[in-house]
Amino acid sequence: MAVLPELGLVRSGDLDEVLAAVDYDHAPYAGGTELVPAMGLGLRRPAAIVDLKRVEALKGIEVDADAGTVTIGAAVTHRRLSDHPVVREHLPTLAAAASRVGNARVRSTGTVGGNLCFAEPRSDLGCVLLALGATAEVRSARGARILSIDELIVGAFETSLEPDEILTTVAVPFEPPGMSYWKLQSYERPTLGVALVVTESQWEVTVGAATERPTRAVIVAGDTAGLAAFVDGLELSDDMTGPPDYKRSVLRGYLERALGTTR
Amino acid sequence: MTGSPAPTSIVVRMRVNGHDCEMLVPVRLTVAELLRDRLGLTGTKVSCEMQVCGACTVVVDGDPVSSCTALACDLDGTEVLTVEGLAQGRDLHPVQEAFMEANALQCGFCTPGFIMMAVALLDACRGADQDKIREWMDGNLCRCTGYAPIETAVTLAASRMGAGSRGDDH
Repeated sequence: MAVLPELGLVRSGDLDEVLAAVDYDHAPYAGGTELVPAMGLGLRRPAAIVDLKRVEALKGIEVDADAGTVTIGAAVTHRRLSDHPVVREHLPTLAAAASRVGNARVRSTGTVGGNLCFAEPRSDLGCVLLALGATAEVRSARGARILSIDELIVGAFETSLEPDEILTTVAVPFEPPGMSYWKLQSYERPTLGVALVVTESQWEVTVGAATERPTRAVIVAGDTAGLAAFVDGLELSDDMTGPPDYKRSVLRGYLERALGTTR
Repeated sequence: MTGSPAPTSIVVRMRVNGHDCEMLVPVRLTVAELLRDRLGLTGTKVSCEMQVCGACTVVVDGDPVSSCTALACDLDGTEVLTVEGLAQGRDLHPVQEAFMEANALQCGFCTPGFIMMAVALLDACRGADQDKIREWMDGNLCRCTGYAPIETAVTLAASRMGAGSRGDDH
C-alpha cells in the first residue's frame, strides 16, 4: 500500500485562522477525494493540510429570495447539495448533477469547493455552474475577490487562485426555465457534459468534460450555422474514452435532438 | 504559517464496530491503514487506492467512505463500521445473508466493499428501488459476477429490511 509522506495538520473552526495558515505548503483540505490520491501519487507534496471541514462559514446553504440566489459553502458535500430542499427547489438541474458525481463515496465526502478548485476537466459542476452564471467568492488573509466560473477555472487542473487563497462560497442565480444537463459517462468521470438554457430567442450551450474547461456560447435560436461553428471550433480532448471526432459527433447528435434541428 | 509547526500526529477517539478506541495516529495514516495494520481488521480490502473500485468501502457515521483515501485523523468523534462489525455472533446481517443466498460473490475480494456500500444504502434508504440501488452500487467494481447477482442480493436485502430510512431519502 502506498504510504503518504509525513504530513502536518492545521485544524480550526475559525475562518481567519484557516486563512492565516493556507499557502503553497499548507494545502486546503476538505473531502480529500482529489488531494489524498494526488499526494499518494506524489503529484502534490504539502508540508501540512489545513482542514476546512470545521469552519461553519464554509458549510452553509442559504437562499436570498430578493436577490434570487442560493449561496453554497465550499465545504458542502455533493450529497448534501443534491439532497438539500432549497437546492432541489431553486436549482434542480444542479441538484440532479450533484446526485451523479463520481460514486456514492465521493458524494458523501467530496465537496463543491474541492470539485471546482481541483479543476479536473471531466467534471459536471463547473459546466452546470457556468451555465447558471454562478460567481465564486475567494478569500485570503489579504481580502476577498468575486470571480465568475470562467475567471476561476482557467484551464485543465488550473484555477486563478493564489496559493494563499481558498474558495469560500459560490453564489448561484435561481435556475432559469428551459435548463437541462445531459452527460455521456462510462467510467467514474463524465466523457462529455452539455448544459442548455433554451428560450424562444436563444440557445445557451455550455460544454464540459471533453474541453479543457467548461465553454459557453450564446446562439440566436434557429442559427444552425452558428451552432455548427461553435461545435466545430471546440478543442476536444483525446483520451481513453475516445478521440475528439467521436466526442464532436456525439455532441452534434445530442444538440440536434435536444434543439430539434435534426436535418 | 507563524508559530509552532503543524502537528504530524493527533489523538483520535472513535467507536469501531461498537468498541471505543483512543489512538495517537500520524496525520498521513489512511483509514484503511488504521483498520488493517493497527486494528487487525483485514476484512477491509485495498485495491485501486484511487477510491474508484470500492473494495475498501467502510461506513463512517452512516456514510460510505473509501478508506484508502480517507485520513484517519478525520475519524475523531465518529462511529466506524467495517464488515467485521456486521454479524451478531453467528447471526449474519441481512445483507450478508442475501449475498450468500443470491450467490453474489465468486472470489470474494470485492465483497466486503459491496456489502458495506449496501449497508450504507439500506441504512439511508430502506425501501431502495432498482434505480437507487444502481445509483449507489455502480461505484463498486467486481470482476467475477457480472453484477446481476449482486443487484439481486441487494434487492432481496432491501425487501427483507422493509421500508423507512434514517431521515433523508437519498
